Amino acid sequence: MIRNGVSIDDTYAEAFGMRATRIIITADSLAWAKHSANAAFGFATSVIACGCEAGIERELAPEETPDGRPGVAGLLFAVSSKELAKQLERRVGQCVLTCPTTAVFAGCEGEEQLPLGKNLRYFGDGWQMSKLIGGRRYWRIPVMDGEFLAEESTGLLRSVGGGNFLVLARSRAQALAACEAAAAAIAGVPGAIAPFPGGVVRSGSKIGSKYKALPASTNDAFCPTLRGVARSELGADVEAVLEIVIDAVSDADMRVAMKAGLDAVCAIGAAGGIVRLSAGNYGGKLGQFHYRLREILA
Amino acid sequence: MSAMTLTLRATPSGRIDMSGVLPETLGGRTAGDIAAQIVRVDGNPVALGDLFAVTPGEAGAALRIDAGSSRLDCLGKGMTSGTLHVEGSAGHYAGQNLRGGELIIAGDAGDCAANGMRGGLLRIAGNAGNWLGAALIGDRAGMGGGVVAVAGDAGDRLGDRMRRGLILVRGKAGAACGARLLAGTLVVAGGCAGAPGPGLRRGSLILGRAPDIMPATYNDAGVADLSWLGLLRRHADAILPGVVSDSSRVHRHMGDLAFGGKGEILAPA
Repeated sequence: MIRNGVSIDDTYAEAFGMRATRIIITADSLAWAKHSANAAFGFATSVIACGCEAGIERELAPEETPDGRPGVAGLLFAVSSKELAKQLERRVGQCVLTCPTTAVFAGCEGEEQLPLGKNLRYFGDGWQMSKLIGGRRYWRIPVMDGEFLAEESTGLLRSVGGGNFLVLARSRAQALAACEAAAAAIAGVPGAIAPFPGGVVRSGSKIGSKYKALPASTNDAFCPTLRGVARSELGADVEAVLEIVIDAVSDADMRVAMKAGLDAVCAIGAAGGIVRLSAGNYGGKLGQFHYRLREILA
Repeated sequence: MSAMTLTLRATPSGRIDMSGVLPETLGGRTAGDIAAQIVRVDGNPVALGDLFAVTPGEAGAALRIDAGSSRLDCLGKGMTSGTLHVEGSAGHYAGQNLRGGELIIAGDAGDCAANGMRGGLLRIAGNAGNWLGAALIGDRAGMGGGVVAVAGDAGDRLGDRMRRGLILVRGKAGAACGARLLAGTLVVAGGCAGAPGPGLRRGSLILGRAPDIMPATYNDAGVADLSWLGLLRRHADAILPGVVSDSSRVHRHMGDLAFGGKGEILAPA
């Protein structure tokens, strides 16, 4: 398959079932909501070492938030409910509770619930107050700028993590420009995030390493500087490869996000230096979700 | 879906206990069957059909009582679902032990409305009497859930020993408003008579006008911007618009310090 001069590999992205939640952070201004969200969802690129993958899903206007203030919706993904609960509590406790004027609310319903303000309330040292409004419980925790308001719990979602595709280009600058366009397109898809910095990854990995302590190591087949010494997937016309990694709250959202990103890259096309599109997988035996590039672009 | 309708034949001479006259119990039954249902007038059994003209309706439809009367007690008592419209005033104990559904009173309600209420919505278009949402004598707690919305005024001892839930009053409240409040939220847009919140343990008493007298057992906690009031306003506006102020900036008094001091009275800043 060739799209706008870009060769689409007959391969698939292998993704995994994950646990996720959405939270809404509001503040007196969008700037402070984003300060808090950037901290809470920072250092959350990969579950390999961050505990979770997270990112801002979208900004919210005051009429979209529970308390009528500007805010952001963010998504967090982890490999287990237990780990997700741990990461959520730590990140909200250290980055939202601490941030001036903020409040935090559940952003989704779920059959199971994750504690949000349920345990953080004890920071109030006995002065915390509970409010049940419209069937939802909130905690008012006294802090130095007034009160921190936190909804008691948020929903747990069964989601998909690790959707991906690789952009192979004639130069690093061209690969980056295409990935920036893809990341921007994915940012417009509700229910999906690209958790890496700027939504783009340069250190694509393979499972395992020659060093026993490492669970993953560089994807040498796609490293242009190793052509000739390692088993390479790259032709002579490829100078740089960048990867887009996507987490989404559902299989359908993942497909929409993958298509949005792939379309954005194809729109730039061969004229923009894009040579091929490929994807990362592990032979299909590890992940429950397979996203064939040609199917998505069909 | 046609509503069942009970039309009062004449102003009753005694007090009618309307317990059991609910949309969930009358829906789907024939007019004759409904008319034969027994209610108590001054404690004596009387057929419902002797007091009301009955128009049957479908199961699950609303129940309408035309020409309500302040002598109709216990309207909506124990209701769990459906809608009960009272086209006029209600007597005492309206919405007692209400568990769900919606009780709408187009006129005034007597004393002790929403006693023991645990869920649902009670709307009173006129005024409410004394002891709204309060505990009955001998009960440990008053209202334990649900929402009461009063478009007019409320009487004395509003929310006495209320345990949970939300009461919204657009007008004024009488004496001892929020007395012995255990928890929950009480909003009185028009302010209250005398000193509010005697014996209030926890919960929030939100007054649209600062009280004439703040009890000595409340300490001034200053002015604060409380974001939860934004949540409350959105929720309340869907039920009784304009009762909760647009401003989240309020003057907070904490008390009653003679009873733990974990409650609050919020007045305009």
